[in-house]
Order: sequence, then C-alpha cells, then structure tokens
Amino acid sequence: MFNDKKIGSLYVAPFVIGFLLFTAFPFVASFVLSLTDAQLQDQLGSANFTGIQNYTEMGRDATFQKSLGVTFFYVFITVPLKLAFALFIAVVLNFKLRAIGFFRTAYYLPSILGGSVAIAIVWRFVFAGDGLINQALEMIGITGVNWLGEPNTAMFSIILLRLWQFGSAMVVFLAGLKAIPEDLYEAADLDGASRLRQFWMITLPLLTPVLFFNFIMQIVQAFQEFNGPYIITGGGPLKSSYLLPLMIYEEGFKYFNLGYSSALSWVLFVIIAVFTAIAFWSQKHWVFYAQDREDKNGGAQK
Amino acid sequence: MSQSATADAGWRKHLPVINAFMRYGILIIIGFMMLYPLFWMIGGSFKNNQEIFSSIGFIPKEPTLDGFKKGWETSTEYTFATYLINTMKIVVPKVIVTVISSVIVAYGFARFAIPGRKLLFALLMATVLLPKSVLLIPQYLMFREFGWLDTYLPLIAPQAFAVEGFFVFMIIQFMRSLPMEMEEAAVMDGCNSFQVLTLVVAPVILPAIISVALFQFMWSMNDFLQPLIYLSSVEKYPVALALKMSIDVTEATSWNEILAMSTIALAPSLILFFVAQRYFVEGITSGAVKG
Amino acid sequence: MTSSSVRLSAVTKSFNGTDVIKGVSLDVKKGELVVFVGPSGCGKSTLLRLIAGLETPTSGEIIIADKDVTYAHPSKRGVAMVFQSYALYPHMTVEDNIAFALKIQGRPKAEIRAKVHEVAEILQLDHLLQRRPKALSGGQRQRVAIGRAIVREPDVFLFDEPLSNLDASLRGQMRVEIARLHRKLGATSVYVTHDQVEAMTLADKIVVLRAGLVEQVGSPMTLYRHPANLFVAGFIGSPRMNILPATFAGSTADSVRIQTAQGSLIIPRKDVSKPASDKIQLGLRPESLSLTAPGAEAHLTGYVTLIERLGGETFAYVTLKEFDCEPIIIKLDGETAVHNHQEVALTIELKRAHLFDADDQALGHAPDFDPAQV
Repeated sequence: MFNDKKIGSLYVAPFVIGFLLFTAFPFVASFVLSLTDAQLQDQLGSANFTGIQNYTEMGRDATFQKSLGVTFFYVFITVPLKLAFALFIAVVLNFKLRAIGFFRTAYYLPSILGGSVAIAIVWRFVFAGDGLINQALEMIGITGVNWLGEPNTAMFSIILLRLWQFGSAMVVFLAGLKAIPEDLYEAADLDGASRLRQFWMITLPLLTPVLFFNFIMQIVQAFQEFNGPYIITGGGPLKSSYLLPLMIYEEGFKYFNLGYSSALSWVLFVIIAVFTAIAFWSQKHWVFYAQDREDKNGGAQK
Repeated sequence: MSQSATADAGWRKHLPVINAFMRYGILIIIGFMMLYPLFWMIGGSFKNNQEIFSSIGFIPKEPTLDGFKKGWETSTEYTFATYLINTMKIVVPKVIVTVISSVIVAYGFARFAIPGRKLLFALLMATVLLPKSVLLIPQYLMFREFGWLDTYLPLIAPQAFAVEGFFVFMIIQFMRSLPMEMEEAAVMDGCNSFQVLTLVVAPVILPAIISVALFQFMWSMNDFLQPLIYLSSVEKYPVALALKMSIDVTEATSWNEILAMSTIALAPSLILFFVAQRYFVEGITSGAVKG
Repeated sequence: MTSSSVRLSAVTKSFNGTDVIKGVSLDVKKGELVVFVGPSGCGKSTLLRLIAGLETPTSGEIIIADKDVTYAHPSKRGVAMVFQSYALYPHMTVEDNIAFALKIQGRPKAEIRAKVHEVAEILQLDHLLQRRPKALSGGQRQRVAIGRAIVREPDVFLFDEPLSNLDASLRGQMRVEIARLHRKLGATSVYVTHDQVEAMTLADKIVVLRAGLVEQVGSPMTLYRHPANLFVAGFIGSPRMNILPATFAGSTADSVRIQTAQGSLIIPRKDVSKPASDKIQLGLRPESLSLTAPGAEAHLTGYVTLIERLGGETFAYVTLKEFDCEPIIIKLDGETAVHNHQEVALTIELKRAHLFDADDQALGHAPDFDPAQV
C-alpha cells in the first residue's frame, strides 16, 4: 500500500496545488512584473514592458542604496550577535543548575511574543524621548538620548529588539548541547583538557549542525525584518532604519510602483539565495555530522 | 611547596560554589533585564499617565483601571472586543486548516513512494527559505482578481494547501521517528491509508500537531503585514492593526491606554505559552536536532 | 479442497531491480507451524511480508485457504501478524488494541467485548485490559500483540521474529508459551526467526532460506540429521558442524571410502555416485565425536588447544595433526578430564558423519534416511 504512487500523490496533492498557485506562480509573476512599469491602481494590461530598466534604476536610486546598506548593516550585526549570545546563554544553562526550566522559559518567552505589534509598541515607548530608558538614565544623572530620533541610534533600538529574541536559537542550541554524550567530556577530563579547550574541541564541532540550522534560519528571518522598523521607527530618521522589506512594501503599496517594488523584492530574493547557497555549499568544510547510529542497524532485513 | 598545594586545594574546593554563584548571577541579571519591558508594560497598564512618565518602577503606586477602560473603548466606533473577535476569526480557521493540510501532506512525504519525491521535498524546503516579499505583489493582484480584498480569505485560504514548509517538515520528522510496523499492523487490522493516518498516526504524533497549532497561532496573532495589505475596513481589523492605528492617533498622550491594550493583546499568547511551553520547545528543536 | 493452507508458487520479489526473492514455491499444511530461518538478508522477512500482503510479489502466486490472494489487501487474506516490535498502538488501552481490528470491521460492540475478554483470558491479560502499552512489561506486550492476532480468528498466523526484542530468559519462557498456544489453537502459523534454537523447538517444518532461495524444507530432525547441503548443515546445530577436507577414494552400495590427511575412513552412506571432483568435505557434528575409549578404534588424533566448560557439558577445541583446517570442536561430558596441550585420540560415530561434494551438496545420504519420505 505504501508503495502505491497514486495514493501517495493524493496526499501530497494539496501541497503541489498550493505550491503552484501560491508560490511558483507568484514567484515567476513577480519577476515578470519587475520588467514592467505596472502601477497598482491601473489594469495590468496597461503596463509596459521596460526590460531591465527597474534594475538599472536602482543604480541611480540613492534611497535604494541607503536601504541596501542599512539592511546589510542590520543583518551583519544582528545575526552574529544573536547567535553568539544564544550560544553563550545555552552553555551557561547547560549545567545541572536548579531552575533551568524557569530560566529557559524566561529567555524563550520574548522569542514568542517579540514579533507582535504590541511588543514593537512597547519597544517604541521604552526608547521614546521620555521613555523607560531615558528615565532610567536620568536617575543616574545621564542626559537621555533621542534614541528613535537620531540616525545613529534608531537602528540600534531595532537590533536590540531582535537580540532580545535570542531565545528560540538558544532553545535549539540547548537541545544540541544535551545531545552531546557526557562521556566525551569525561574522556577529555581524563586527557587533561581544560574547560575552555573542551568547548573549542568538543562542544563547538559537535554543535555545528545546530549552528548551521540556526544560522540559516536567522539570516533568512533577518533579511525579512518588517514589523520592527515599520512600527518603531517608520524607517527613519533619514532612512537610517529603512530596511529593504519596508522599502518593498512602501514602493508597492504606498507609491503603487508594482514594477519597481517587484524588482526590489527580486534583489532581496537573490541576496538571500546567495547567502543560503554559500552556507549550504560551505557546510561540508565546517559542519560536522556525526554518523547516524540508526543507519547501522536498520536496512539489512527489509 | 606542600603549603601552597593545600592552599590551592582549599581554593579549588570552593570552585564549584563560586562557579554556580557566577552562573546564577549572570542568569538572574540578564533574565531580569529581559523581562523588565514586559513587567513595565503590565505595570504601566495599571498606572496613570503621569506615573508612567515619572517612575521607572513597574509596580503602580495608585493602581487604576483607567487605561483598560479607555483603551477598551478605543478611538474608533468599535470596542477592542471587536478586534479581538476579528483576530480569532482569522486565527482559529487558519490554525485548523494549517494543521489538517500539513498533517496530510507530511504523511504523503513521510511514508509513500511518490513520483518526483526528491524534487517535491526540495521545493517544500525551499518555501521555508523563500522571502515572502517576493510573492507579496503577485499574490495581492491574484486575490484582487478573486475579489477577496478586504476579506479574511487571503489570510486563511493558502494555508489549506500546506504552504508553510516549516510545519510540514516538522511533522515529517515526527512521523519518520515512528516505527513503520505500527502502521503496518493497522493495515493488517483492516485500515485503509487514511484510517491509518487518522486513527493511529495522528493520535500518536499529537504533541507535534499541538506544536504546529501553537506556532501557527502565535505567528498569526503576530502577523501584521498581511492584514495591513488585505484589510481596509476598520470593522474587520485584527488586534495588530488596531494597535498600530491607536498609536498613530493617541500616542502622545495616553500611554496607559496603549499599554493596557498591548497587555490584553499579548494575554492569549502569554497564557498559551505558559500552559504549553514544552510543545514550543519540542516543535522548534525537532527540525533542528533530528534533521 | 486441499490440505494446504498457504501455497506459494514461483514467487519472486525485487526491490529497485535487486532480486530479494528469487522464485520460492512452498506449501504450508493446515495446522502446521512452519518456521522460516536463515541469516539476515536471506529474504525470510520479505517472504513473510509477501504472505501478509504488506508487499506484493513481482511474479508468482500466493494462495491462502484456497483463495488467490496475490494482490488482495492484507486485511482480506485471513492472516494476522505479530510484529517484532509488537507494534502496539501506544495511545490505546490493551482492550482497544485487541479490539481495533474488529472495530474497523464494524462488528457490534457486545460481540467485540465478548471476544476481547475471551482472548484476554486465554492469554491471562484480563487484569491488564485498561492499561496502556507503556505500562506493560516486554512479555506482556508480546502477549497483547498475540492477542490482537488471535481475536481476528485468522486462517494463518504470521510471526516476524516475535521474540528477538525480549531478554534471554523471557525469550525461553515465551517460546514455550507460543508452542503451547499453537497446540491449543491448532492454527496454521508461519514464523520467521534467525535463531535456530527457536526454529528447532517450535517448528513442525523448517524452511531454510539463503539469498532469496529455499535451501531445504523438512522437519527439524530431518534438517539436523540429513542436511541437503553444507549451508543447512552449518546453520542448523550449535556449535556448528566441523568440516574437514578429504578426497573421494571409491564407493560401494552402502559405503564410501575417503582419504583424509590422517588416513582413510569408511563412511556408511547410500546412493553415492562418483562426484565430479575428488575433493570432498567431511562434516562431523561436535556430538558425533568422542575421546577414544580404551580398546576402541581411533579415527583422528590431535592436540587440545582450548577448553570451554559449561558445567553440564564441555567443548574441547582440537587441532588435528596433519590437517590444514581450523581446530575442530568436540562435545564432551561435563566432568571429562581433559587439559590444554593434551594429545587426544578421537572416535567418530561414522553413521552420523556427513559428506559433501566440492559444490557443497550432500553426497548420498545416511543409511537410516529414506528420501522418499520427504
């Protein structure tokens, strides 16, 4: 029965239909649109084919270049810091401490809530001119900073919001750490390896598959950041937090330039594709996959 | 020589205590800083506006329900209840169709010989990595053609086709960890493949199904961009849009109202998280560690 | 109406171009317990799954209770299966596990209840009916798995290595229980195992498989006494049969003269035709060798190199003089006084000796064996 291709195809059919209709078709259509000057308010038939003009336009568009720059800045700061912090806390938590469950809950909670509008609003209040942080600074005699009003610090508040959500990466690291057999450390102790050395020689190599997973997920997520800048800073001031997804949204739904917006989204797609491709290609050089134990047993009989 | 050795040993004897002390210290300080914004939000809901601006403590000195009362009224013609109900009208059907479609598709991938299976699986995984903004405009135009603008259909309908590869992958991982013999026993007992799925497999992987439901619930509660694009009538707004609208209107003055409504908006997620925390942990780790 | 309950004719099965079953024909008589044995990868499990309907054959026919079921759904063949891992439904109680097949068939509730309780009584599961599988011991789970099969009153029971997940002592106990149950229910059964002890003790008939082909079919004692080839001889019996090189030196109507490194031997053997090659193999089971008693004839001599004392019996490893082969194992009485490096003379119980030609096929047969019987 399980070899029956007809039955199997039936189960997968919803995905195939959904993929064609809601993913493959829009994916191709967005590329086609990116070669036109389509406008949201017009009938699609009235759009003109403009070739790669939308793409060459980006070369002259200072806003795009600014947006691209801050997007890379945001991703390159957020992802490594978040992973490092998540790993650090996971390692601290991974000792037989009491109340580990409590701490894990406390640290994981922001990841679950952090994407919401409500939290973004709270963040906006925390960093506002008369918000929590400036009030706290005032108490210790430091004059507050206009966090969201200064180009240098606006992005900082968004990065901090996403760092605050390190919990999901941490939980994945924790599970990875738990999967490392205790006897490896005992053997290393007998060999006289220091704790730090054990971390570099045992923990980190065995954790690379999990690190790889977290890295991919965080990169993909970070490049798509929208809620934070939209609600906290609106992309400003002076476009200093104008991340690409925000620009794609505004070009399409505020300025109605569907063609240009689609072209921007394809640039974002290519960037993410290149990063994931590099990650997948490079994993054979740095990701260490332990041999799957189950492979040895199964398979012989059936 | 021997003296310094004993002194050294004495110091080392206390090492675990110092070690634990440091660990707890780090964990408690970071944990407190992390949760403080949440405490401050909840506390602020019960403060009056002056107190929010004058004290950074989170325990209100003169607790008041003003923020909740006024916030609940909202600046629109609808109360906050309307937005909460709207949110549920989106989230509940979305969760249900996501679970059903993901389980069915995952079963096909996990257990059946399918023509082109490797390619299909690769496509499934690619959807996880594909930035949603590439699809945004064509999907919008498509739903406009369907006449679905300003309805909940664009938010719900695609989910009936297992479009979230992450969920399908998660369930596939759980299914693959089940012994095949159990399903074969069910076949021997007279089940057709759909009965095997509904009577045997689904109940056994219930934890995974709950994980998927919870994640989809949270993600849908948090979803902002999609409702922003597709919904134009205020009466159909979910909480996320209503909150955004309220800061645009009343931010300068009524922080307590907004904090109170934020607290209410987060309450369902908070409660679910504390009740069902282990399913979140299982869900997010199953894809990463087993795979 | 024939007396056979399961009949396979020329069944083959290949997975992705690899032939796993290469043409098996077989009869299982009504009420018989047939055991498939063989090393892992021999196709015994696949053969069982073909009978169960979990796989469909590439070619050939499968007939159960006179119905062609080659392509029938597993539940429509009148078979029930006990799996290696028990495959109990973890979310159901013992009662629901046993009742599941009947519920799927849509039988009335009262009937299901009565049947489940009847089965539970047979298997002494009455007091466990409301438990989940997780709360049961290995042996209890095994009994539930058997109960799930019994309740369907199948024409044929299929067992797929049902005891291999149990520890040694429990395995022995369950083996006896299955034998008793089989006698009580008198149901046709096909049983797969890689354990030749299980095969010997349970089977009415053993089917020895290798690489997708049947090597020999027969009662346990037939296979033990008269293996058709070197593979069966090696697989049945523990410790394994000793194999010594020899050359064919002529035969009469009821004996064969062979030449070994230590001289010539006359082996009682019937129906021996001259083999294609003079190189042949002498097979001696450990129990058909003994230390030469005073006055008796010595057939072989050598040195003891290792002694294993199991208490009731002793195995001595003897390196034979002149021979170019592994040390042979002989089975001695537990108290036998032997020591390492001792030079020993051995006597062969000649009518229990086996001969195989260069192609590993049995050369003739023992004088007390009638090939027409099989």
